[in-house]
Amino acid sequence: MERANPRMDDFVLDLAGVGRPRICFLPTASGDADHYVVRFYRRFGGGATEPSHVSLFRRDRGAGAVEGDIEAHLLRQDVIYVGGGSLLSLLGTWRAHGLDRTLRRAWERGVVLCGLSAGSLCWFRDAVTAFHGPSRSVRGLGLLPYSNCVHYDGEPERRRAYRRLVADGLVGGFGVDDGAALVFTGAALERVVASRPGPTAYDVRRGEDGEVVETALRVHVLGSQVPTTDGVGAA
Amino acid sequence: MSPGPILCLGGGGFTMEAGLPLLDAYALDLARTRSPRLLFLPTAGGDPADQIGRFERVFGSLPCRPRVLSLFHRADLEEPLEDVVLAQDVIYVGGGSMVNLLALWHAHGLPDLLREAHRRGTVLAGLSAGAMCWMDGGVTRSQGAPSVVDGLGLVGGSLSVHAHRDPERGRALRAAIAAGRLPGGWTADDHAGLLFVDGRLRECVAGRPDAKVHRIDRGPDGTLVERELPVRRLGPQERWGWAADEPGPSDRGGLRDELRLVRRMRAARMASGPGRRRRPAR
Repeated sequence: MERANPRMDDFVLDLAGVGRPRICFLPTASGDADHYVVRFYRRFGGGATEPSHVSLFRRDRGAGAVEGDIEAHLLRQDVIYVGGGSLLSLLGTWRAHGLDRTLRRAWERGVVLCGLSAGSLCWFRDAVTAFHGPSRSVRGLGLLPYSNCVHYDGEPERRRAYRRLVADGLVGGFGVDDGAALVFTGAALERVVASRPGPTAYDVRRGEDGEVVETALRVHVLGSQVPTTDGVGAA
Repeated sequence: MSPGPILCLGGGGFTMEAGLPLLDAYALDLARTRSPRLLFLPTAGGDPADQIGRFERVFGSLPCRPRVLSLFHRADLEEPLEDVVLAQDVIYVGGGSMVNLLALWHAHGLPDLLREAHRRGTVLAGLSAGAMCWMDGGVTRSQGAPSVVDGLGLVGGSLSVHAHRDPERGRALRAAIAAGRLPGGWTADDHAGLLFVDGRLRECVAGRPDAKVHRIDRGPDGTLVERELPVRRLGPQERWGWAADEPGPSDRGGLRDELRLVRRMRAARMASGPGRRRRPAR
């Protein structure tokens, strides 16, 4: 849901591969913030999709969210879109409602799972989050057996912390700039896309000698005809 | 140092009514300090902007040091969570989803900090989910229909809230007590509060007439024994009771009344005056 740039959102809808995809928004990581829900419907409510959202904080208020059997609703979706916010809050709330199991089931059934920031980190085995004091890793849902670090270009402290954690034995994974996205089929990385030229993703892993090796990945800029090659090569 | 008192509201308080509610003034009074540090935890509602805005409007103009702790914006904290939680005179927990509240607290390591704050004498207060969380257990509508959920257990016994308005919850509580799923406990109406000191019920108070509290126990034969408890109706004289500690001339009562009137008018104006509202700091 980037402002004034619908490419990433359009790309997500294309992944669903159906005419009018059912897309369900999970704004849990923001505490189901009203403004975020409104933004989702502004973006996806135009008729090209069948949008809905699940609120785990407003279940008794009739705020337009899905009521009744949330699991059945999620399993019927073509796309589940997870918003950003607090990863710890997201995972804690999901687990309390059993959504961790539901989302795994949805994934196994072929529902496209996507999200940004906390909504990206949650799918991985380990996620790097930044609070005050040392950065640390948090166990995610583990659908993808790697680690993930987001806002890779925006927060140099995070990048340093991620590399340090990988050096100390954290499972290898991916650092991703704002505006870039990883596409996995099953647990295999299929490609890296970006909504504009510039943003990159990196493969970050511990080499044989214990050194951290960071490799920029080839990025396909959405809306361009030919995959760009600017991102290729070791950084 | 003795553990702090715990005030559990069946509903009401600043998130549900205008002005400075009597029950909230009573909660501040429990701190027994002139300018209490007051921390609001809107966690159960997902840190909703309306609760935070009301908190800032009501308490921003009163003689206290209000602060909001958002677990959804923890990265904005400038000091460790522990330092924030353990530095308070009053911790006030808003309503919302009790299941989410406890899940989030556990995810962020709050239960141990809150226990420690309680041990050190901090007043713990809250309404609805923010009241039941202190007990052994309560009845939540986090999933729609009423269901039983465990609390932190700082107070022995169970609690169900919004009793008059939502009788289904009370039925769920009674069923859980009868089945032995929850220990005996209380139902509280909106605007009724239960004050626990050293783990025992000290008194029931009410901010409005007809706010009731019932005690429910499981009898030896498994049937329920239920009785209505006496409730003390709070009056305006309960507000800012710590002024009574002030040394002063013998006619200080008149002065105190006048100060009280000014404060009340100011509180009412801050809470309801259009165009004079502070903007929520978000």
